[in-house]
Amino acid sequence: MKKVSTFKVVSWIFIIAFLLISVFPFFWILVTSFKPETEIFGDGAYRIIAQHPTLDAFKTVIFEKNILRAVWNSFVMSGFTTLYVIVVASMSAYIISRFKFKGKNLLMALILTVAMFPQMIIIGPVFNMYYSLGKLNSYWVCLAYSSITLPSAVWIMVAHFKQVPLALEEAAKIDGCSTWGTLWRIIFPIAAPGVFTTAIMTFISAWNEYLLSCTMNSNESIQTVPVRIGYLRGQYTIYWNQIAAAAVVVVIPTLVMVLLFQKQIVAGIANGAVKE
Amino acid sequence: MVKKMTFKQFLFILPLLIFIGVFSIYPIVTSFMYTFFDYRINDQTANSFYLSERFNGELFYEDCDYINYFLDDDKTLISEEDQKAVEEIQATVSSVMSEYENAKGTEKISSDKKDELVAFKEKLRTDITALYDKYPDVEFYNKDKIPEILDEMDTCIVKSNFIGLKAYGNLIKDTRFWKALGHTLIFTVISVGIELVLGMLLALIMNKAMKGIGLVRTVALIPWAIPTAVSAMIWSYLYDGSYGIVSFLFNKLGIINSQSAMLLTSHGAMSAAIIADVWKTTPYMALLLLAGLQVIDRGLYESSAIDGAGPVVTFFKITLPLVKPSLLVALLFRTLDAFRVYDLIAILTGGGPGNGTESLSIYAYKLMFDQSNYGYSSVVVMGMFVVVAIIAFLYVKVLGADVMGND
Repeated sequence: MKKVSTFKVVSWIFIIAFLLISVFPFFWILVTSFKPETEIFGDGAYRIIAQHPTLDAFKTVIFEKNILRAVWNSFVMSGFTTLYVIVVASMSAYIISRFKFKGKNLLMALILTVAMFPQMIIIGPVFNMYYSLGKLNSYWVCLAYSSITLPSAVWIMVAHFKQVPLALEEAAKIDGCSTWGTLWRIIFPIAAPGVFTTAIMTFISAWNEYLLSCTMNSNESIQTVPVRIGYLRGQYTIYWNQIAAAAVVVVIPTLVMVLLFQKQIVAGIANGAVKE
Repeated sequence: MVKKMTFKQFLFILPLLIFIGVFSIYPIVTSFMYTFFDYRINDQTANSFYLSERFNGELFYEDCDYINYFLDDDKTLISEEDQKAVEEIQATVSSVMSEYENAKGTEKISSDKKDELVAFKEKLRTDITALYDKYPDVEFYNKDKIPEILDEMDTCIVKSNFIGLKAYGNLIKDTRFWKALGHTLIFTVISVGIELVLGMLLALIMNKAMKGIGLVRTVALIPWAIPTAVSAMIWSYLYDGSYGIVSFLFNKLGIINSQSAMLLTSHGAMSAAIIADVWKTTPYMALLLLAGLQVIDRGLYESSAIDGAGPVVTFFKITLPLVKPSLLVALLFRTLDAFRVYDLIAILTGGGPGNGTESLSIYAYKLMFDQSNYGYSSVVVMGMFVVVAIIAFLYVKVLGADVMGND
């Protein structure tokens, strides 16, 4: 019995340390975000509770530094990305999970390779492509996000579609349902939980994308959250209270997403690990 | 029950093929092509792909025009006989330049034509110099200007910027590339190693289904879910040399010998990047491994306990072999992910101090967008690609990671 309790004690210490370390950076930016400029430098820098708490930093980043504009841009970019990725991935995952065709293994290998190669390899030509089409600094850049989101979306969806029983499809076919109709009216609703998981994972990776948007959408009016936050660092003085306030603002959408959809997210991560 | 695909059904995968084609295959092939050219977009003579020599007729026409114009001024100062000679020269120039009256930009040129033009230019130079030398005492208006124009004419012939495999040779000699590769490998091996050990411990604990695990899971997701750029920014505040709480604590604990050492020494900065990465990714690793652990039949643990196996033996004899397939896949993806690290380092250290944390992605990015050297940057990326292929090969062939396992 003693062994079990030692294990438990060690586990708890480990878990508590893990929780503290995970949360601490967020706690500290929250603390800093309420400090006035005079307290981010000098002795005040390590005080937990500000002597003169203020919302100035939040006002500055929201009204002067346009952080909400970046949040909106991120929503638009990630929303569009999720939309087209789900449509495209559903269509191809349906065919891959149901039909036999030449080069299927090649296609799967290709999708996997695309998911694994360094993104740096595409950035130059993609930049030149957008430049010559005059589409830099536009929402069109979200189409390029497909290179990071589409492969894993197809991969996860194939696994989910395979679990939908074939009998339902046969019945639909007998009732005269086309392939297109079968996909959207039978398979898609039944696989909805899997589709939803894929959508959440796609949204998060589009939301977090940095390399493409930093390179191609560098105008302030179109910057997404990850890019905007990098630009807040001034050249000479860094107002950490403002950066902290901006971080607090931009972490909120992620926090809401995690709290609402944690089951789907955990399932999405697990999908990457467990094979049927 | 698998059916054959018809053309109509092929249309279903067409959008996927178009996306992969446009945003993955085409850019990869194009990048590969970049590597064979000295392709620098900030240099007029190298901002496109010239397999053969080209000739800038537009510029040539302008230059000839200037020469005739300058000679018009200067011939007023010399003897009538020499004026005739100058007019002859001018007539030749006019006839040669007339061919390029409507030329726009650069065009291909045959080597015969090129030789002809070079000979023409050299003759022009000797003739004009001879004339000026004849009158050493006369102060010509354009004696200095004409040689300048003639020099500019040299640039009308744009050399091919095709360099074949030369850039690959340069890559092998490029110490900055090897250093960046070293940094990237150190970052990858250490951070993935720590993440694996900590993630495994966390997953084993979470698998015991203790109270409050739901909370642990929720908290674990947050660092993973926030954008790396944002977490890098948060960490750069925590590490700040003057007011960062983490660098302050590390200094007080004697881990670093001055508060600014965290981001201003290369060892400190590399450790800083690794800690930030471990903080962000360990939870993800734990959840991946947990998924693998949860499919293990609990009966196996019970029977091993009955056989009297301790927790360590159980872990190495039962858990590890059974979780190995998911573990390898998780490791492969994490390794490749860490290997291409860009945003974390770009924001945390920018590759500094003194390129001390410059990863391959950072180096390639700097070459491409700070120096506009697309050609060589693509070569660096190809080097990266080769290493990625080696890593994938080692995992799949040597360790036996089954990535394609869907069928």
